[in-house]
Amino acid sequence: MSRSDWVSALIGVILGVALGLYYAWGVSPVEYTDTSPASLRSDFRSDYLALIAVAFDGTGDLERARARLALFPDVLPADTLAALAQQRLAQGRPGPEVSALARLASALSGNPAGTPGKTQTLASTRLATSTSTPTRFPTSTRRPQLTRIPTATPGSPFKLESEETVCDARLAEPLIQVRVLDASGNEVSGVEILVVWDTGQDQFFTGLKPELGEGYGDFTMTPGTTYTVQLAQADIPVTGIQSEECTDERGETFAGSWLLVFVQPEDRP
Amino acid sequence: MKIIPARLLIGIVLGLVTGLVYGWIISPVEYINTAPDSLRSDYRTDYVLMVAQAYAVETDLVSVQKRLAALGPEPPSDAVVEAIQYAVEHNFSQTDIEALRQLALGLRSLPPPAAIGGP
Repeated sequence: MSRSDWVSALIGVILGVALGLYYAWGVSPVEYTDTSPASLRSDFRSDYLALIAVAFDGTGDLERARARLALFPDVLPADTLAALAQQRLAQGRPGPEVSALARLASALSGNPAGTPGKTQTLASTRLATSTSTPTRFPTSTRRPQLTRIPTATPGSPFKLESEETVCDARLAEPLIQVRVLDASGNEVSGVEILVVWDTGQDQFFTGLKPELGEGYGDFTMTPGTTYTVQLAQADIPVTGIQSEECTDERGETFAGSWLLVFVQPEDRP
Repeated sequence: MKIIPARLLIGIVLGLVTGLVYGWIISPVEYINTAPDSLRSDYRTDYVLMVAQAYAVETDLVSVQKRLAALGPEPPSDAVVEAIQYAVEHNFSQTDIEALRQLALGLRSLPPPAAIGGP
């Protein structure tokens, strides 16, 4: 081929690519349709995960929540939900949504991911990978036995069962540790706890650290500050909580923590 | 003059083929950062069902409207009606269909949105 032939072919290639791009970007641009939840933008993904938790709160259907979470293959459910709960708490999102996330995180941690249910297997192998054939999402037509996570019974205010100082040198910071139990002695997740001190207030929930127990929650104290702690579902606040000085085996001092245990009394007829 | 258009045509075809091979095989489109309005119909139905299940707990129609607004500019009730149709066609449980129906009833109780503009 002569030089002019090569030039013509090159011009043709450039024109072809230009035509392709014009068609792809101008005439018929990509439209996102039939996508899966895994492709959602991060803010929509967070909302979706929170919605899974609130729906679980309403139905108590853990297997279905697992199946829905399995649509996000890169998500470690319990950890992600606990982190999302803390993130939303910091953002001042509604308490019920945060407690729902905490309850679902606790429920998931109580049922190890290594033993997935039938519905989860279905979701992870079929729903999450399917891209073209519409697959109906598993519904409750074959709903497994519901697994109820202990939650606070409305109308039964919690009572302070015990309060004690904790001298544990392994704790990096002094904590207000709270453990909440129902009348049967089961740990209760998603309980809101209000902490007030001279210059401010904050809140936290049980169940955000499921590895320490579903009814466990903690708050980092500043040494020298006096705190008042109250459960949202308790009548009487616990006052005068302050980090006290502890001494370790080598005689060195460190700031101590507090452990408060709340129990929901049995309803009297 | 006859040869030049032929070379040009071959070049165009080669360019198109190159573009398609690159776009479809080497670097195909990956769906990331999408919005709920692009969800496939089964996922979309499940999204509406979750909103209905949340509504059963929260009974908060404002939250319902916000959540359903993510599905697109259509009225929220349209999304619920579509979900009910899908649920019935695909033999969802009566519990699910009832939850969707309650959500539809709740949305129907809302006053119609005020018209924009006008005299």
